[in-house]
Amino acid sequence: MSTAVTPGNGRRAGRPGKGVRAGRPHASWALPAVLFFTFFAVVPMALAFYLSFTKWNGLGDPQPAGLANWKKLLDDDRLTQSLTVTVLLTVVSWAFQTVVSLLLGVWAAGRQRNRAVLSAVFFVPFLLSSTAISLLFYALLDPNFGIIHRDTLGSTSGAFLAIVFVGGWQFIPFHTLIYQGGARQIPEVLYQAAAIDGAGRYRQFFSITLPQLRNTATTSGVLMIVGSLTYFETVLILTQGGPGTDTAILPYLMYEAGFKSYDFGYASAIASFLVVAATALSLLLVRLTGFGAMRSTREGM
Amino acid sequence: MSHGTLHRPRPVRAAERRTPAGPSRVRRHWTRRPNPLAGIGSAVWLAVVIVPIYTMISISLTSQDKALGNNALKPPTDPTLDNYNTVLHNGFPHFLLNTVIVAAAVVAIVLVLCLPLSYVAVRSRTFWSGSAFRLFLLGVAIPAQAVVVPLYLMIAKLNLYDSLVAVILPTAAFAMPVSVLILTGTLRDISEEMYEAMALDGASSTRMLFQLVIPMTKGGISTVVIYSALQAWNNFLFPLIFTQSDGPRVLTLGLFNYVSQFGVNIPALLASVVLSGIPIFAVYLVARRALVGGLMGVGGK
Amino acid sequence: MESYSRRWFLGAGATTLVSAAGLTACGSGSGSGGSGGTITAFVYGDDAVKVQAKAVSRFNASAAAKKAEGKVKLEKVPGSDYPAKLRTAMGSPNAPDVFFNWGGGSIKAYKEAGQLVDLTDTIKSDPVLKDGFLPSVLAAGALGGRNYGIPMRGMQPVILFYNKTLFAEHKLQPPTTWDHLLDINAKLKKANITPFALGGADIWPELMWLEYLVDRIGGPEVFDKIKNGDSSGWGDPAVLKAAETVKQLIDDGAFGKGFSSVAYTNGGAPAVFAKGKAAMHLMGSWEYSTQLGKFPDFAKKDLGWCAFPKYEGGAGDIRNVVGNPTNYWSVNARTSNKDAALAFLRDCASESYARDLVANGDIPTTSNAAKLLDASPNPGFAKFQYQMVQQAPAFTLSWDQAVDPSSSTPMLTEINKLFVGKSTPARFVAALKELK
Repeated sequence: MSTAVTPGNGRRAGRPGKGVRAGRPHASWALPAVLFFTFFAVVPMALAFYLSFTKWNGLGDPQPAGLANWKKLLDDDRLTQSLTVTVLLTVVSWAFQTVVSLLLGVWAAGRQRNRAVLSAVFFVPFLLSSTAISLLFYALLDPNFGIIHRDTLGSTSGAFLAIVFVGGWQFIPFHTLIYQGGARQIPEVLYQAAAIDGAGRYRQFFSITLPQLRNTATTSGVLMIVGSLTYFETVLILTQGGPGTDTAILPYLMYEAGFKSYDFGYASAIASFLVVAATALSLLLVRLTGFGAMRSTREGM
Repeated sequence: MSHGTLHRPRPVRAAERRTPAGPSRVRRHWTRRPNPLAGIGSAVWLAVVIVPIYTMISISLTSQDKALGNNALKPPTDPTLDNYNTVLHNGFPHFLLNTVIVAAAVVAIVLVLCLPLSYVAVRSRTFWSGSAFRLFLLGVAIPAQAVVVPLYLMIAKLNLYDSLVAVILPTAAFAMPVSVLILTGTLRDISEEMYEAMALDGASSTRMLFQLVIPMTKGGISTVVIYSALQAWNNFLFPLIFTQSDGPRVLTLGLFNYVSQFGVNIPALLASVVLSGIPIFAVYLVARRALVGGLMGVGGK
Repeated sequence: MESYSRRWFLGAGATTLVSAAGLTACGSGSGSGGSGGTITAFVYGDDAVKVQAKAVSRFNASAAAKKAEGKVKLEKVPGSDYPAKLRTAMGSPNAPDVFFNWGGGSIKAYKEAGQLVDLTDTIKSDPVLKDGFLPSVLAAGALGGRNYGIPMRGMQPVILFYNKTLFAEHKLQPPTTWDHLLDINAKLKKANITPFALGGADIWPELMWLEYLVDRIGGPEVFDKIKNGDSSGWGDPAVLKAAETVKQLIDDGAFGKGFSSVAYTNGGAPAVFAKGKAAMHLMGSWEYSTQLGKFPDFAKKDLGWCAFPKYEGGAGDIRNVVGNPTNYWSVNARTSNKDAALAFLRDCASESYARDLVANGDIPTTSNAAKLLDASPNPGFAKFQYQMVQQAPAFTLSWDQAVDPSSSTPMLTEINKLFVGKSTPARFVAALKELK
């Protein structure tokens, strides 16, 4: 993280005075954004942390409760289960979406007319909101109305895969687009050289396309990982965390504690845990993608 | 779309980048002969995309008593628009208008606040501007769901409960981190020489913002517009918790409520899902290129 | 749609946002006292809401409304998340003045937070209210012997519905004892008919089975103890026995295979029942109006009903009923116009209100209901229901409404786990005993 910014390091000392000042607005320009974000995002996070030490049912004022919520959280079997489901859902969604979008993206990068038309069709699911898509599959998975006359949501693996599929159905169009963009940036000469060496189509795919898409895969993967924390609507509408508690991901667990049991103190403890985990994930991702290093290398090129 | 995003370091240097960008007319090597495997794969995915959409439209055109227990894959025997009528008379246009208001307000807030901030983050080298930027970087992976309980407390205390403002402000706040990343990413591409040239003309930072920064970051701005509009479009949890009455009800919540309202009327529910997709589908038809281009920007072109 | 005031956009306190950036309490939007003004009533927004809508317009035009200088604005809250909406609204400055609830555990937290008007003395001193309702129903919504609610909807006992035509075809009689029921199940399964429809995707239809079995096996006292906050009551042998009995039914295929993906709320379970794929359906009395709306032929020709059978050797009376005695209006202690609120509640005891309920297919819980039932869409069913409730030695409130919300959610989860086979009867009992 510390590499994100390299404040005035005198690299420009040799420049004439005027140039140093050119278009360098006062830091106070950032103030409105910082204040706004602080008030509606940072303060609530701090407040969540505070609430996790209280007992509050939504009526009246929160009462201090010491470490009770945190003790309960650490003892709660459902937290372990929920964490497992969340991680599993993230990993499986990532794998599913990556494989499909990579193949589709590379395919769509071709300039044929039929591919362009089909790509436009493939994009349509992304236009619907997550709520709409969840409702659609809620109806389609109903054994009486739908297209699958089976007890899909009644079994653990069925419900889990349904969430993975629905998430993929919505977001694969978007990731396909990213891969399509990535594939189009691969220099044509690489393929020409390989063709001269006699490499076939599949050989070219594995030894040129895949390695060249490494960075694209990182970006897309990061988006998928961050995105899978937000499958909340799908879970709420499709499975309500069921069967039993088998698909209750962390955000759903928090929602249930807060807005079904009205134990807002405990919900805040789960939320604080989620914030800490997500921040750690942010840091890790920033490191992995090397974003932090960009500022100093790009500036002044 | 409800993901966050991160930039990756650009794999290609500025000089190389000029050539392959844009819809090149060079025919790709792989267009020369047909690829049967890719053909089959894309056909399979076409079915995956089309079947749910087709079923949805087909059921939404079926009267309720016929939809039950029928084979959903068969086309409706005598289609009816009654379900659409039901939905349109149950507040749908009003919910849509609310969503549009929320989206417009979120986009406006995000742009007005994030542009100066990103400008500062890229151009100013003080400790404060660096800290401001880092604050947003940390927020990238934090899911908005985590802070819904404390936000509810704040909104109730601020007397904003059950208003659109209660939805707009936090939604905008949580769209900011990614927007800042996208904007700083594009802002870095403006060369030092351009700032200096304007500085020689005696331009102030404000004039540079309007005459240099904004025109040069159009791509990034359109990406941010699409990104934050999608956040508003997909927003579900904030409206669910922060609003209650018909007045400030947004589309996602309207759809969700149709489940209990039309609980026993799946065709009407699906009609509402279809209707919710129509406005954005229209946008897609009109501005496909801009939309797709903007979305590719989220992934870091 | 009605016209919307501007406040939904800006919020009551857009100005507060500017002036008070802190979290200091901005006070409640409504002060207490009896000054005039429009009051808001939150109601569960299903089909039956038209009865309340009529009551509101009748009240707003009445002399009572003029006297109290107040009008009522009805806010229909979509059903599925009514309890959560009510909670968040009650915790905010724009809380409703009057609100729909299920009595019992559903209002306990509000009472403890001092947000309810104690109606006990109002009812005692007002003959219209005092004599207007069945005493058992008034009592069922009380907390610690004090009244906080006025009955405002029909009674909703849980009834065993069956398909008369199917039963006749297979020469079956509606079950009166548990063994009889098992015998029917065996015969139906031989004929490839699922014995019971069950909307397991909503968990509450599963709950009904346990409610009745615990009552029939151990008597109403078992749940009474639990309801009063003693979670050791779950350790009663009757609970374990009921769970084991349910488990046998499931393993035996009495509910078919896919019941976890079938919902009641989207019409799945009623369709399975109406199309003859299942022969019986344990459901609240509203099943009749649901079927009448969706499959009128079935409702009129084939639909039969009976009490839940007796369990041999069990302590519970076959006349005992479980379900929702009715719903109640309660009054927010912070209401701006208590006089108008109380005047509005009196309308629920009126004959016109009861008539509207009857016309909607509901059975009012008013003392004058019996003579109105001939006007019901199905007098036979209406009278069966009314007598069932009137003669019941005990009416157990649905468990999920009777206990505090903090234990009702985990309780429903445990029930779901038992039904989908993620838990055993012994583990089920152990988990419930942990609830506080």
